[in-house]
Amino acid sequence: MFINRKKFDFVLFALFLLLIIVGCIVIFSASTTVIGKQIHLQNSWWKQILFAFLALGVIALLLRLPMPVFDLLVVPLYILNILALSLVFFTPAVNGAHRWFPLGGINYQPSESAKLLTILMVARIISKENLNEYRQILYGFLLTLLPVLLIMLEPDFGTTLVFWAALIAMLIAAEVPLFYILLCISPIVSIISSVWFPAIPIWILILVILLLKAHLSWVAITVSGIINVFIALITPVFWMGLKDYQQNRILTFMDPTRDPLGAGYQIIQAKIAIGSGSVFGKGWLKGTQKNMNFLPEHRTDFIFSVLGEEFGFVGCMFLLLLFIAFFLRLIHNIGELKVRERKVATAGILAYLMFQTFINIGMNIGLVPATGIPLPFISYGGSNLLINSIAVGVVLKYLNERGFIK
Amino acid sequence: MIKNQTTITFSLVLAILFLFLAGSLFRLQVVEGAKYQRIAESNFIRIRRITATRGEIYDHKYRPIVQNVPSQNLYLTSGKIKDLNALSQFLQRNFGIADKDLKELVIKQRFKTYEEILLADNIPYETVLTLSEELNYFPELSFRIGSTRNYLYPNHFTGYVGRINEKEYGLYQKEDYSLNSYIGKTGLERYYEVLLRGKDGREIVQVDVKGRSLQLFEEGGNIEPLNGLSLILTIDNDLQEFVSGIFPEGMKGAIVVSDVRSGGILAYVSKPDYDPNLFMQKISPETWEYLNREEKPMMDRIIYGTYPPGSVFKPVTAGIGLDRGLVTPETRLAFCSGGLKVGNRFFRCWYSGGHGSNNVIDALRLSCDTYFYDLSLKINMEDFHNYVGESHLYGRTGIDLPNERQGFFPTTSWYKKTFGKQEGVIGHKVNLAIGQGEVLTTPLQINAFYAAIANNGLWIQPHLLKQTAGRGRLTREQVMPLVKKRLPMQMQTLRTIQQGLWSVVNAPGGTGANARINGAKIYGKTGSAENVMGRKTHAWFCGYLVKDKPEIAVTVFLENAGGGGAMAAPLTAKIFNYYLGNLETIKQVTPLPPQFKTAEGIETEEPEQDTKEEDISPAETEIDPSANQAMEENNVH
Repeated sequence: MFINRKKFDFVLFALFLLLIIVGCIVIFSASTTVIGKQIHLQNSWWKQILFAFLALGVIALLLRLPMPVFDLLVVPLYILNILALSLVFFTPAVNGAHRWFPLGGINYQPSESAKLLTILMVARIISKENLNEYRQILYGFLLTLLPVLLIMLEPDFGTTLVFWAALIAMLIAAEVPLFYILLCISPIVSIISSVWFPAIPIWILILVILLLKAHLSWVAITVSGIINVFIALITPVFWMGLKDYQQNRILTFMDPTRDPLGAGYQIIQAKIAIGSGSVFGKGWLKGTQKNMNFLPEHRTDFIFSVLGEEFGFVGCMFLLLLFIAFFLRLIHNIGELKVRERKVATAGILAYLMFQTFINIGMNIGLVPATGIPLPFISYGGSNLLINSIAVGVVLKYLNERGFIK
Repeated sequence: MIKNQTTITFSLVLAILFLFLAGSLFRLQVVEGAKYQRIAESNFIRIRRITATRGEIYDHKYRPIVQNVPSQNLYLTSGKIKDLNALSQFLQRNFGIADKDLKELVIKQRFKTYEEILLADNIPYETVLTLSEELNYFPELSFRIGSTRNYLYPNHFTGYVGRINEKEYGLYQKEDYSLNSYIGKTGLERYYEVLLRGKDGREIVQVDVKGRSLQLFEEGGNIEPLNGLSLILTIDNDLQEFVSGIFPEGMKGAIVVSDVRSGGILAYVSKPDYDPNLFMQKISPETWEYLNREEKPMMDRIIYGTYPPGSVFKPVTAGIGLDRGLVTPETRLAFCSGGLKVGNRFFRCWYSGGHGSNNVIDALRLSCDTYFYDLSLKINMEDFHNYVGESHLYGRTGIDLPNERQGFFPTTSWYKKTFGKQEGVIGHKVNLAIGQGEVLTTPLQINAFYAAIANNGLWIQPHLLKQTAGRGRLTREQVMPLVKKRLPMQMQTLRTIQQGLWSVVNAPGGTGANARINGAKIYGKTGSAENVMGRKTHAWFCGYLVKDKPEIAVTVFLENAGGGGAMAAPLTAKIFNYYLGNLETIKQVTPLPPQFKTAEGIETEEPEQDTKEEDISPAETEIDPSANQAMEENNVH
């Protein structure tokens, strides 16, 4: 058998299966509409089950694949994926975006596979021995920037955020000192802090204290402080220079209720659905808001609103705990793995899944802007489920074969 | 489990993020749960389409032809249905909606259950009152005021609107139509759908059951609808009514009156006609049968009927003869002894007594077939075909109406293909020369041709739209440029033909004497076309009126009514008389009514087109009035 009983992580696998099962149950409900006494069902739920089995098959294949072959494949696949991302512009636009290759009924979205392959590629490069921190950050940044630029051109802004979250996690796992990472992301925080003037001195103070704790030299701290103050102060000037419609687009992204006929409408509908679920929910298949089909995407991006409405706070907490257990298990595995590249890759996969989960649920309850990121393992969507499962499969493979090389 | 700095960092981030989520969920579902439950029960947060008001249609004096009138509509929100069978019974009983249709509709809308579907429109107010009590049991139903069209008189040019059907919805979905939309089905309603329709707006409905605002959103996010443009036509309602009134009872046919200098249609009558308002209600089987009876009242004979033109075609034959130098105005052709022998066939003239030998002007005056038979022998078939084409007598005129038909004029190769390789064209050509045989034209093509002769050879595309009004004021030229082309006739030929047409009406023995009136010069040609539809000939008269300048061209066409001189010409005289009597009123420029002055902002091209239109007068620029005078004197002798 290809499963090593002593090393295979049955806990992670079980949690993974549980998540998929919860997903199928909620998708079944989301695909039904009750009119009078009749129930109308869309065929998406069994498609999801089909994909779940397909995903399990792919994981099995992955586990069988000899490790050297797997290691050899990463670089060529990454390059192929970049090629696919460039070629996708020549496909016909769907809703004004070039994202899919139509492959006989199934739409292949290269930006999905790019997430995983970029993680594996970055892990490979920045885990090399004899690299100093600067090079680690530089190489990681460049390898991530390439797919991100191509995906932003599609255009698909939301997806690109995932890449940066994964990169930061990988740098942490690669033991790049935290203050380097802090320095890297500080300009972004500075830009955000400039929205509200009193936030600027508070943020600069925090930055200085953190850098002091990292025993950085006074010169370095002063330079970075000045740079950040400058960025925070120059941002409003940039803002004024933007055209009205550009300002509006950014403001609507931050606060969707400004656009009640677009993104705001969806978020309000999701909030009403989840809120009205109250403590125990309305019961499976009994969601009234879901039944009115107010949300056009309640099977995909807004699947959490169906769960919240039908299973209430209790159901939401159950799913959150399931996710927490799953992520804690992944964090635990980072500690278990000894090969640096695999450790770093697992951290990337953890961040990639965790970030999507947080953003999606946060979007459903109106905490973060709507970005079109699906909920891992739960949302309807074959290619997304497949790529997330492969990500889990990679971690399972690492664990299954740990100690093999060393 | 926690082993080093990395895992501590990750665990910390995980804890912070998920605590944040759990806290927010607690607030949303536990603390504010009751509030959201209340909002959900009212389930009234939705985006609703605000239908743009469709543009109306007016005549050239801003008198209405098509208007919007308020109507009571019944809408269904399928997601709120509690008992489908009870609903079905209720709808069947009160609105005659079949159980099958309702269920089909519900299934079609099953994933848009929040969207309102228009079930019935034009509901009488009494019905609304009597049913309002019962409606409380059906929260899924609601009455709302919408609008419907009112067509002020039966006609063939306005067309009518109707609910969008599945095929149209499939075609135009991208253009923001909903299943509740109305769309122009025929006539101007269809041709100018894009202008008339406007653009629907969107509003967010956020009221609870008691109608109070839920204040989930700021106000002001709505998208206002852009109302459709109204059409100002070239039609004159008074003239239209008069022409419609004098049309002989029980007959089939068409009358077109056009302004020769602008190409605008003043009256457009095709009989029998139908009332477009019939289509605003559900059509009963009896009405449907009535509309599809043998007389075909739905058929627009002006652009969709193609008929043999008969003698009204003769000026074209004369034109090519003169233009190609086959004859001169003075050339006398074969002696008419009641016909002409060509090969071993004898082609009869309509007058068995015979006309003697004539020149072109007399041949037109007497409508002598023999002259044209003889002329046809000199004409090249392909040349003939092209000449007719350049005169716009086959090929669509491009009038701003859908479903225009082409007409037909054969070629040699067509004859060979249809009748076999041995077929000669000479005998066919003889028939074609007098507008018989295979040639087919629409009354509109004939009218445009005669208008072009009146206009000294400038053919202007016939059209109905003069300008738009309302949100934007566009002239017809701005909407779509008018095609203006010269007829193939040389100026000298044109003079000769005009002279011939004058003598038809005014000279002794002219076949069109019945069209003569006092106070203006009338030109014209009669036609009595033999046809396969009946034993009697189609009666044609086509002519124009000149008072200082050429004014209007009138085409009268009566299916199987008999001779053109006897049947059609007197009607034309009535129209000419009416026009002359009301010349001042018809030509008077009506000031823009105040409701059109409030152009809502966009593209207000300042309109001076009323005066501009007066200026487009090729008649003035290209011919001096004295020439006309001279021609006339010539003729009297």
